[in-house]
Amino acid sequence: MGLTVMAKQHNPTQKFWRTFGRVVIFIILLILAISFLYPLYYMLINSLKSLSGYYVDPFGLPSEKLQWQNFATMISQFKILKLFGNSFIISFFTVLGLVAFGTVASFSFAKVDFKGKGGVYMAILATLFVPAQVTMIPMYISFAKVGLVDSYFGVILAYWAMFLPETIMLMTANFKSIPNELIEAATIDGCGYFGRLRNVVMPMGWPAISLSIIFFFICSWNDLFTPMVLLKSMDKRTVMVALSSLIGRYTGDPPYQYAGLLMSAIPALAVYAVFQKSIVKGMSMGAIK
Amino acid sequence: MAQRSGPGQAALPRRGEMRRKNVRIAYLTILPVIVILLAVKAYPIIATIYRSFTNWNGLYQNDFVGLANYKEFFGSGLFMVLFKNNLVLLLSVPLQVIIGLIVAVLLYEHVPGWKAFRAIYYIPQIISLVILGYLFKSMFSLDGPVNQVLESLGLGHLAKEWLADGSTALPIMVGCITWYSIGWQTIVILGGMSSIDPCVFEAARLDGANFFQRTFKIVLPMITSVITYCIVMAVVWTFTSLFSLIYSMTGGGPGYETMTLDYMIYEKSFVTGSQLGMACTISVVLFVIIMIITAAEMKLSNMAEKKWG
Repeated sequence: MGLTVMAKQHNPTQKFWRTFGRVVIFIILLILAISFLYPLYYMLINSLKSLSGYYVDPFGLPSEKLQWQNFATMISQFKILKLFGNSFIISFFTVLGLVAFGTVASFSFAKVDFKGKGGVYMAILATLFVPAQVTMIPMYISFAKVGLVDSYFGVILAYWAMFLPETIMLMTANFKSIPNELIEAATIDGCGYFGRLRNVVMPMGWPAISLSIIFFFICSWNDLFTPMVLLKSMDKRTVMVALSSLIGRYTGDPPYQYAGLLMSAIPALAVYAVFQKSIVKGMSMGAIK
Repeated sequence: MAQRSGPGQAALPRRGEMRRKNVRIAYLTILPVIVILLAVKAYPIIATIYRSFTNWNGLYQNDFVGLANYKEFFGSGLFMVLFKNNLVLLLSVPLQVIIGLIVAVLLYEHVPGWKAFRAIYYIPQIISLVILGYLFKSMFSLDGPVNQVLESLGLGHLAKEWLADGSTALPIMVGCITWYSIGWQTIVILGGMSSIDPCVFEAARLDGANFFQRTFKIVLPMITSVITYCIVMAVVWTFTSLFSLIYSMTGGGPGYETMTLDYMIYEKSFVTGSQLGMACTISVVLFVIIMIITAAEMKLSNMAEKKWG
């Protein structure tokens, strides 16, 4: 009796503090969220200002006519869409190769017993922590010998080597959780190796496969070092390489710079906006960095 | 019985044959990966180690000089200059892990919209460090917004080209890296926390543990392996993946004030262009440092597992 009374008396104040605490937490999280969105907002408002408008007030909304020509110039003069195309070709074939080589190899690592499996797997993972800079010089020299410098395929090959270990680690861990019974059932149904891959592994392992596709598309889209070193001719450069030389030339015109920076960020952000759920889920498993 | 054993006996050799076939296909499937990694990773590493003992300049000069590059690199003090910059940038690691942990505990309260917040915190990781680097650069430039704010606060005398001064450039970079990495840390730590029984939190709250006690005395010990993973990934990442940011923010300058080991490899080989042997030496040193970190990580996480299970 006494206890229930006490609980009833306590409940409203406890509930108040509980709610109060949650409101405080919400506000803290909101402020943090604004800090992460602000750079995008900042680039957007300033890319639509004139140069003088920017210097008068970089924080306010554009007060005069919106300067869409910053974006128009990006497309007509800077040919940013052509650069998007270059980046897209490289990212697309990078991801295609990762999935093609990665799924078949990971299937073998996860579900087939063969001699030397453990050793080969460890050797592949050991290359994970080798930084790109360490291998770049001899790679560049050998690529130059076989005509892979200044070709898309050279960059794609370098990315395959860079991202395959992580892809295989991620996919193998995931494929291991596919029940053996399913694979056996597919075998009894007359599926060969690639039949099992297509009918069982691909659908069951889709979380890992899709995460690799999205994550490494964004990685290769955003990278600067490899394409900057390997691509020489102007019309082959990726958007990040072209951007870095553009920004250097237009230091006096921040609104124009912001238009370029913002546009180059959009494709990766669009991919993230669409596949946000599977990225966050994959990251939660601590799969990749 | 006899009828049953018939098909069984017939199936056995078929099974063994299929197993052998599967093994053959398995070797074929890993072959492309092995060839790619041997050609584009393993061979270059060996070549880098060999070239680090030469005075190679990419053209005619390629004599074996023994340890001369290493002596020069360590003896001239260049190593300490670069390594010191790497260490300063590493200050970001404890910051990002602690902030990430706090934010993860806050998100764990599941206030309305926490999933949206989680998705937003990851946005910096989606934007190229090239873009963020130039953005930071323009913000901290002489006529940029940071100085404008200072002037409007009456602190105009503090205004300066922030990234052109070594004493401010590195701390600003530490801040940028921390801001960039919080989202990743938060999501991974939150993922690790999902394995903790919610009752533990409830019990702690009823016992009157405050927020910081809950965070550091209860959550932290329960996810040590996740935290070690976060720390090691962040340390290795800081040593190897900051090229785009340094390139766009400072280019390693002023002087060598923001030049790191990994950036120096690029500088020596593709900018000044003639000291490929020395660049290989720096590569080997960086490689060894990363090996030591990874090995230490494995030791630490084994110890942590023994201590806390």
